[in-house]
Amino acid sequence: MAKYIGLRLVQSIFVLFGLSLLIFSIARVVPGDPARAALGFLASQDQVQQMRVEMHLDKPFPVQYYYWIRNVMHGDLGKSSYTRRPVTTDLAQYIPATLELILFATLISLVFGQIMGILAGYFRNSWFDGLSRLVSYLGIATPSFVIAILLMFLFSQVFRLAPSVGRLPIMMQPPPTVTGFMVLDSLLAGQVKTALVALNHLLLPAFSLAVIHIAQEGRITRSSIVENLNKDYITMHRVHGIRTSRLVFKYLLRPSIIPTITVMGLDFAFLMSNAFLVELVYMWPGFSRYAVTTMLNKDLNAMVAVVVVMGVTFALVNLAVDIIISFLDPTIRIQRRGG
Amino acid sequence: MALLEVKDLCVGYRIFEGHLRVLNRARLEVDSGERVGLVGETGCGKTTTVKSILRVLPTPPAEVASGEILYRGADILRMSHRGIRDLRRREMTAIFQDPLQSLNPMFTVGTQLRDILKDSMGGRGRGRLSRREIEARCIAALHETGMPDPERIMHNYPSQLSGGMRQRVCIAEALSREAQLLLADEPTTNLDVTIQDQILRKLDELVDEKGTSVLIITHSMGVVRDLTQRMYIMYAGTMVETGRTKDLLAAPRHPYTQGLMESVPRLTGVGISDGIPGRIPNYLDPPSGCRFHPRCVHVMPVCKETAPEFFSVGEGHVVACYLYRS
Repeated sequence: MAKYIGLRLVQSIFVLFGLSLLIFSIARVVPGDPARAALGFLASQDQVQQMRVEMHLDKPFPVQYYYWIRNVMHGDLGKSSYTRRPVTTDLAQYIPATLELILFATLISLVFGQIMGILAGYFRNSWFDGLSRLVSYLGIATPSFVIAILLMFLFSQVFRLAPSVGRLPIMMQPPPTVTGFMVLDSLLAGQVKTALVALNHLLLPAFSLAVIHIAQEGRITRSSIVENLNKDYITMHRVHGIRTSRLVFKYLLRPSIIPTITVMGLDFAFLMSNAFLVELVYMWPGFSRYAVTTMLNKDLNAMVAVVVVMGVTFALVNLAVDIIISFLDPTIRIQRRGG
Repeated sequence: MALLEVKDLCVGYRIFEGHLRVLNRARLEVDSGERVGLVGETGCGKTTTVKSILRVLPTPPAEVASGEILYRGADILRMSHRGIRDLRRREMTAIFQDPLQSLNPMFTVGTQLRDILKDSMGGRGRGRLSRREIEARCIAALHETGMPDPERIMHNYPSQLSGGMRQRVCIAEALSREAQLLLADEPTTNLDVTIQDQILRKLDELVDEKGTSVLIITHSMGVVRDLTQRMYIMYAGTMVETGRTKDLLAAPRHPYTQGLMESVPRLTGVGISDGIPGRIPNYLDPPSGCRFHPRCVHVMPVCKETAPEFFSVGEGHVVACYLYRS
């Protein structure tokens, strides 16, 4: 297993290298002058020229890439021409906010998606199955920002149960940053009340993001539950008088949850870049919003960094999914051991 | 009173094209300690019969239209959820035809075997088994089936075992609880010919030892002859003939049974028989009267109108055919 993980990590490094080269070139090919974009339209031609030299934009492309990769090796991703701060500082600020959000969204989709999928699959063709199908189609068809606006209107404006924007109220002192996760940091600092407030801020945006994944993952779980219910071995467990809770949550769920976990991994990585509209609606200072802003402003260094971060997320999440699945599915484990 | 009695069972499947009327007043009896064979060609409703008895038919699409399945006089079809669960835990057990599909690939043999015993015999209270007793019983059950090194097998996943080994595990699962009635649905059909005989002999031996009643489904006349005392011939959802195995094999009466016997290749015979012309009827629109009449060489006008009752042709030997009406 350790050998397998090591191999996968080495593979990912090569993939990330290629990815950085690709995005590095694309960023320089698309129309628009990054130096001009960084300085604004009021800057003089000389200033722009000076900026171009500063950003190595006057050098040939391979030289530019060499400079960039040399700095990356030293942990320097360059300066963002838009925020005028080192890109690493930006990332350190924005990534945890989004990670907290999408981790929570994934957790919500796991819980609700599985409950819905298991019930709909086990009681297939019942009224619950029909209802969950309807809700799922609605959930898949409705864009997440629409759900975000609806939820904000309902729970924050009408019922006043949850705040509408940000991670914490402005008056509240945020906890010292350790992980960058507001809820976790508050708990680490022993501020339970802050943690609860932060959690409350998290609920609506996370749920808005989760809806489509609840719907998708619920449908996938449902169909694999139905498929497995017809398997001989489930009939056999039944014949042998295995009690229903054990039958469903052990013998039926284990083979049925594997396809869902694969999709869940992809969904997680997908959210990293696609949480943008929800982050915008809830004024969430997150990575997804940052990513879109850098693209719009032709912020070269930040763009490359953003893409690399997404690549790293994909690679790590897929690795994690593979490990979890091989843990759940012994047939894969046995193959890998070669026995 | 018979241990198991299936009375006029009618089961159908609702599919897109319509209603498949498969079981048509199926009747069956198994006495305590008796071994009964159920023979018929593929698609005649043998597995549907067994699954109805175990009450594991997928409903929908399956539908029990009418009939009774009495186990010691209690109707399985009308039993509560609890009742059927207790019946499965204490009285009935089964082996299915495909050992490759009968074991859950995600869990070790030990986990599956242990859970069966835990749920049917484990827990606290009188006569319940402790954890250690369950463990010992699992190993004993595997050992009984002739499995080498049962302790190691307990840690194996089904995919690490051969077909024959998996069927032994299924037998161990089925017989570990000392059930009264074993329903074996073609237990050796999907195994290598060389393994078939070993498995059957083992099954025979174990059933003998424990005094279990058996209903075994098979295509093979050899298996019925070796294993059973009485047999049923089934055609298109109906039992057409029953009697003591040796009487029935020596003198088959129903035209279908006769055709079936003739199609068994014999070492002494010349050439290959023609078999029975025609094929199993379409269940969407089964023939009226006796379902065999379109294929029958002795067909009479009455056969097309009403299905025949059983007519006695010998001690315990009955045939559903108008040829024996007198």
